[in-house]
Amino acid sequence: MERLEVIFVWVAFLAYASAFVFFLYYLLNKRELLNRIGLAAAVVGFALQTAAIALRDSRLHHAPVVGAYESLLTISWAMMVVYLLLEWRTHIKALGLYVLPLVLVFLGIAWANYEATSAVMPALESDIVVIHVIVIFTAIAAFIVAGGSAAIYLIEARKLKHRKAGGVLGRLPSLESLDRLTGHAIMFGLPFLSMGIVAGIIRAQKFRVESWYTDALVLLAIGAWLVYAAFVYLRYARGWHGRRPAWLAIAGLVFLFVIRFVAVPYLSNFHTWGS
Amino acid sequence: MHLVCVGVSHKTATLELREQLALDDEQAARFGRSLLDEASINEAVALSTCNRTELYLYADDTLAAEQVALQQLAEYAAVDPAELRVATYSFSGDAAIGHLFRVAASLDSMVIGEDQILGQLKNSYQLACGSGCTSTVFNKLFRHALEVGKRVRSQTSIGARPVSVSSAAVELARQVLGKLERHTVLVLGAGETSELTVRHLVSAGIGRILVASRTFETAAELAASCGGQAMPFEQLDELLVEADIVISSTGASDYVVDRKQMQAAMRRRKGRAAFLIDIAVPRDLDPQINRLDNVFLYDIDGLREVVEQNRAERQREAAHAERIVDHELGRMNEWLAGLEVVPTIAQLRSTVDGIRESELERLGGRLEDLTPEQRNQVEALTTGIVNKILHLPTVRMKEIAAERDAYVYVDVLRHLFGLNGAAGEGESCELSDLKDDRHGDE
Repeated sequence: MERLEVIFVWVAFLAYASAFVFFLYYLLNKRELLNRIGLAAAVVGFALQTAAIALRDSRLHHAPVVGAYESLLTISWAMMVVYLLLEWRTHIKALGLYVLPLVLVFLGIAWANYEATSAVMPALESDIVVIHVIVIFTAIAAFIVAGGSAAIYLIEARKLKHRKAGGVLGRLPSLESLDRLTGHAIMFGLPFLSMGIVAGIIRAQKFRVESWYTDALVLLAIGAWLVYAAFVYLRYARGWHGRRPAWLAIAGLVFLFVIRFVAVPYLSNFHTWGS
Repeated sequence: MHLVCVGVSHKTATLELREQLALDDEQAARFGRSLLDEASINEAVALSTCNRTELYLYADDTLAAEQVALQQLAEYAAVDPAELRVATYSFSGDAAIGHLFRVAASLDSMVIGEDQILGQLKNSYQLACGSGCTSTVFNKLFRHALEVGKRVRSQTSIGARPVSVSSAAVELARQVLGKLERHTVLVLGAGETSELTVRHLVSAGIGRILVASRTFETAAELAASCGGQAMPFEQLDELLVEADIVISSTGASDYVVDRKQMQAAMRRRKGRAAFLIDIAVPRDLDPQINRLDNVFLYDIDGLREVVEQNRAERQREAAHAERIVDHELGRMNEWLAGLEVVPTIAQLRSTVDGIRESELERLGGRLEDLTPEQRNQVEALTTGIVNKILHLPTVRMKEIAAERDAYVYVDVLRHLFGLNGAAGEGESCELSDLKDDRHGDE
């Protein structure tokens, strides 16, 4: 079973990588067939990754959120869910170019931290922890997509301002649709982030975790929440469009990356799994 | 038998001459037929667009055919033959096929990558085919050329980027605003380029058109012609709030919209993106406006810059298209060389064998006295003679099959033995539809 899981993850990785290459090639010469092949490869990779997660789940009998390997595997899976949903609904093609490399990096880091089994500290065996992690992963996936479309927006807007439109025309989505996509993805992600933070606080209270409110990770998470809340307010109540909200979406994403790759391994006193 | 192409195009002839030589559908068909009356010409297709008039001929003697065709064309169009000769180019054999493929691929067009030539070529071929001016070789050749054109369209992005100022402006608007159905364009002042741009916007599905001009009558006139609304110029500040696209080409000597005005408008627009096109010289819109967030201002130089980039892109794609043309030229030659030989040999055999059998049948009564053994001998003798006669031509034809000019021999053989061209594709002139999904640039 374990071997099958490993094989699935590997093949999924290869499928994503080839999808990325096809998308890149599509960007260069705009043949619709390449885009379709890339999309098909991404779907195949996603199916395999799903199967790998299900296999692991049935083998170890816990939600796949324990340790670096599982959490990154699941985050990248959630990113693929969000990406495929958006691709299906909006047909914004450039998104794959941005999401897939990130998925590949996440999968790569996950792979470097591979563990055949992972055990959960007894303290963490509770439903609220599972909910906490799953909703936060969903939020992260949505924010990554938002950050990506914001980054594409900024690059494209810059090119259009400087009359370097030749490389952009007809290849990237319109500024309007990127702007909209960033907004939608953040609107989608924010409730999940809120739920995740609330679930975390409830758990900390319930298990009497000492001074959780001074923990670096918690503070950073609240910082990220404030950035995204500000985005939603400015965007939908004050009618902000354009570069400023795009920069906010990227700032929020920076928070999230600091949390995942700095705070979780080095700064936080809890959020450690097992040993 | 050889392929030859003679004609004039924008590269060799003045517009005036091209106009004189232009043939409409009926004229092209009639002209093709009249060429076939010449003994030396077997197949003919006339291709006439506003940028070229070309005659494709399949003839015994290319030089003679060329002479005759030009002579007739000069007479037909009532131009001086000497003047025509100077502007004429001609290709034969491989070069003629290559030229036709390049024309189909829009590589020879005035605007490389334009999409009209394919339809025009299809039309010309169908006309010629319908009036019986094409046969085996041209049916294959022109169908193949249309395939080449389609392949170049679908496998390169040669026609993807607009290369005229007005269509580039529309593409840029689309890149900023997305679908144009729910957007409003404001036209300030009237001018040729702005009218052309508005027309492009209309065909791109723009939602609403507002027109304002210093003199209300001018505005009303333009508004009426493009289905827009004339607005008083004094309401400019309000109009800027409503408009997502502004096309300005007034004759004003000072800025019509300055940065402060636009900034105020953007605040009231709640930051919704605006795309401004300044076609006027001197400029109507303060260049500082481009610094505002979510406002994209292009003046005429900016648009030309984009057009230049797109043109360069088409040039790069043209290199790719040339490779496709080369490859297809090779395939066409293979067909001309090889595919014809085998069925022609088979046809030759069955024709000659048919003659033998019908002759024996004719003698039927007189052969009845013979014993079965003698009859078998007669049978064997005649078959032997047929085989002996056909042996050398068959061997020679098979040798030639690999050569480039094999189709010439095939044609001679067909001519000498009266074989009809059954090896070609269906005789129907119907072609699968060419996709007309690209927008024109002209």
